[in-house]
Amino acid sequence: MFPWSRPTPSHRSRVSRLVLVLPLLAVLALAGCAQREDTSEAGAGGQAGFPVELRPEGAPEVTLEDKPERIVSLVPSVTETLYEVGAGDQVVAVDEMSTHPRQAPRAELSGLDPDPQAIAGHNPDLVIVNADAEGTLADALDKTGVPTLVLPAPTTLEAAYDQFALVGKATGHADEGERLADRVESEITELAENTPDRKLSYYHEVDPSYYTVTSATFLGEIYQLFGLRNIADQGDPNAMGGYPQLTAEKIVEADPDLVFLADTKCCGQNAKTVAERPGWDTMTAVKQDRVFALDDDLASRWSPRLVEFVRSISNAVAKA
Amino acid sequence: MTEATGPDPALTLHEVTIAYGAAPVVSDVSLAVGRGQWLAIVGPNGAGKSTLLKAIAGLVEYRGSVTLDSTRIDRLSPSDRARRIGYAPQNPALPERLTVTDYVLLGRTPHLGFLARETAADLSIVEDVLDRVDLRGLMGRRLGTLSGGEAQRAVLARVLAQRTGLLLLDEPTTGLDIGHAQTLLERLDQLRAEDNATVVTTLHDLTLAAQYADELVLVDRGGIVAAGKPSEVLTAERLREHYAAEVEVLTTTDGRPVVAPVRPRHA
Amino acid sequence: MTLTRRSAPRPEAAEHTTRLRPGVLAVSLAVLLAAVVFSLLAGSGELGWQRVLGEIWAQLTGGLSPLSEREAAIVWELRMPRVLLAGLVGAALAGAGAAFQGVFRNPLAEPYLLGAAAGAGMAATMVVVFAPAVTTWVVGPLPAAAFAGALLGVGLSWVLGRSAGGSGTAGLLLAGVAVTAFLTAVQTFVQQLNTDTIKQVYTWTLGGLNISGWTDVLVALPYIALAAVVLVAAARLLDVLTLGDAEAASLGLRPGRIRLVLLAAASLATAAAVSVSGLIGFVGIVVPHLVRLLAGASYRVIVPLSLVGGAVFLVLADVVARTIMPGELPLGVVTAFAGAPFFALVLRTNRERLS
Repeated sequence: MFPWSRPTPSHRSRVSRLVLVLPLLAVLALAGCAQREDTSEAGAGGQAGFPVELRPEGAPEVTLEDKPERIVSLVPSVTETLYEVGAGDQVVAVDEMSTHPRQAPRAELSGLDPDPQAIAGHNPDLVIVNADAEGTLADALDKTGVPTLVLPAPTTLEAAYDQFALVGKATGHADEGERLADRVESEITELAENTPDRKLSYYHEVDPSYYTVTSATFLGEIYQLFGLRNIADQGDPNAMGGYPQLTAEKIVEADPDLVFLADTKCCGQNAKTVAERPGWDTMTAVKQDRVFALDDDLASRWSPRLVEFVRSISNAVAKA
Repeated sequence: MTEATGPDPALTLHEVTIAYGAAPVVSDVSLAVGRGQWLAIVGPNGAGKSTLLKAIAGLVEYRGSVTLDSTRIDRLSPSDRARRIGYAPQNPALPERLTVTDYVLLGRTPHLGFLARETAADLSIVEDVLDRVDLRGLMGRRLGTLSGGEAQRAVLARVLAQRTGLLLLDEPTTGLDIGHAQTLLERLDQLRAEDNATVVTTLHDLTLAAQYADELVLVDRGGIVAAGKPSEVLTAERLREHYAAEVEVLTTTDGRPVVAPVRPRHA
Repeated sequence: MTLTRRSAPRPEAAEHTTRLRPGVLAVSLAVLLAAVVFSLLAGSGELGWQRVLGEIWAQLTGGLSPLSEREAAIVWELRMPRVLLAGLVGAALAGAGAAFQGVFRNPLAEPYLLGAAAGAGMAATMVVVFAPAVTTWVVGPLPAAAFAGALLGVGLSWVLGRSAGGSGTAGLLLAGVAVTAFLTAVQTFVQQLNTDTIKQVYTWTLGGLNISGWTDVLVALPYIALAAVVLVAAARLLDVLTLGDAEAASLGLRPGRIRLVLLAAASLATAAAVSVSGLIGFVGIVVPHLVRLLAGASYRVIVPLSLVGGAVFLVLADVVARTIMPGELPLGVVTAFAGAPFFALVLRTNRERLS
């Protein structure tokens, strides 16, 4: 339920890996020169762009020698991105929560608790996870020569766009990746600009016991594009890591103009159930029908479908 | 077997057998105690005295019958039984923080219904009983602060508060010095006379048993081996046989036997 | 000396019995009332206590209230039921704790001893995992499952304890340990297979009254009220039980049956409490002890005062849970923080009295 995790700045490991990789890079640079000439003669595609250095934000650097053809993705958002950049054919297995797109080969793999043996069973040549504390998974997979790419949840929109490009680069679809990043960025910016700035307040519900997000989160940033004020910000938006639990009282008292429900699929919430909550029928948003049900997945992933999430916010603001 | 020497026996046991599992602890015990009489059950350790007392109190299962005033006690409900039979075990639970009054008041439980509270009448009975055991002045003291003698009197008081016709006391003189033991037994005898209560005690001190009881029953290995007046029951040969002890049985000025241990002769 | 006499002078013994003096009860109820009012007035934000007081006054006198409809809804639809529920749950857990301590004659006994918490937790996990879309967090499958699960846990312990150890408490205690371990294992197993639901179950486990409304109060009230009545009525019997089974039987009681009634009532109260509030710890063990140290050793005093004391404790703990931080602090955390040091302090100052 909580795929978001804060980035783990692993500066130390980045530096150490950099030091280890430097001589390798020197060799590759020399070799790469020669190789590049060859492939450019052979034409586009194939091994163009490889080997490639990947520098994901807040995660260790990874260098991929060859274009990966057997990718295992344990991050639902990245799964979507993989297919969007055209790397769908290169994916051999995805975790059980990767529900989109439908044709993604879901396997009994866990993204929250990755099992190196289960993963290795799919004979991958690249594994993508969203967290690897202490690098234990990477070490384990390294023993079979499989590189691990850690792509943590982005904390800003910029980082999300960068990730699209990186995924493209990692799979030999660098151009598509860049184009995807640009497209999503421009669509989102356009939506934000075209929506009237009404200076409204909002409450984003993560679960029915009133867990929410403050403006100091990824979602919070998106809402801020529309000039919306988060009722959970209070004194310090960074309190509770950005994911506080509010009291029912507080919410009714703050009387947000817009209510967004991101617990529709997991917990069956909708405008009707919300209106039945004690005291909520006095809220402006309930009375004026400004309770909006979001798709749980859309509200918790950072895939190219972000655009749809942003669009639903835009529609809500416009309607209000 | 023993026959009561008084008028209608108040308490009768008929072929009572108690067994935990295979081996019987008490076998085929039959006895009778007259109303207002004092029966002392004596015998070596592990003879089954306490178990026998528990059976009379209705606290263990047994075969045979125990009859009190022509009513079989196993036909009585627990509260009916508690109104007729007062029982104090060998090591009674004495919750430290309970006051003496509270503790003795517990003796009124069988007379209160499930939901009832104590009335002023119950409290008067408690006061009365405390007077009789000379604990009136310690009414408010907590049980944990009492001396051994005082605690035993409190236990006696609790049993008396039940106002029963039969008192069953298992080793009431445990832990008491010679003076306190005597005082307690004197009191018990006096109360018995006043209330015409029937008393059955187990006593390990044979001399004390002989001095206070009307009848004695010697129990060994779960069965009665002798019954009758103290002077009849307590003989040196019998005590040697059942206690494996060397004793001399003397007689006090009031005709009661005194059992004096004598060191076994050497050579 | 007068010629007219009052009927039967009050026995002196009455002064030395430990019973609930009306004065003590009145004071404790007054404290409870004060705590409830305080809790109603306390809260976050713009709803200042003066304005809330104005609203209460207006309701009582039919006058004009300073609060808008929405603000009034906060007080009457959100805060009031929450405060009442805190009182009910606190009373239930503390009363059950006192009963458990009396039945088991053990100061470490508490209401979750026989598997109530483990059963509720397991049932809650099952509902969250297998029926997630139906989990609406109002009176729905989750509270009902928790209630049933708690009773299931206790029932299993009872059956197992009886078959293993007769009607004594030792077998029951061991059965409780076994059943708790088993049900916890089941819960952990199911959770491991469905790690995405861990957060939801964890939140529930920590205990909280954040989502309570009048429905919860009305649902929990009958069980807790019934149980409280039974416990208070049977408190006297608990005193007799402290003498042990043999002596209690010699005083005309059936110890096994009384234990059953007491444990059933206590478990009913516990089940109702956990079903609406999750697993709140500490109340069931700390409050009866505090009452015992302050007010005497007889259960006739401990049981009713634990009911009131538990209510006060949890009402105040809930105030802390919802005001001390911008967000909501889980109630179970507050009770542990408050209960443990306070309890340690009281233990130290009463060391001799305990030994």
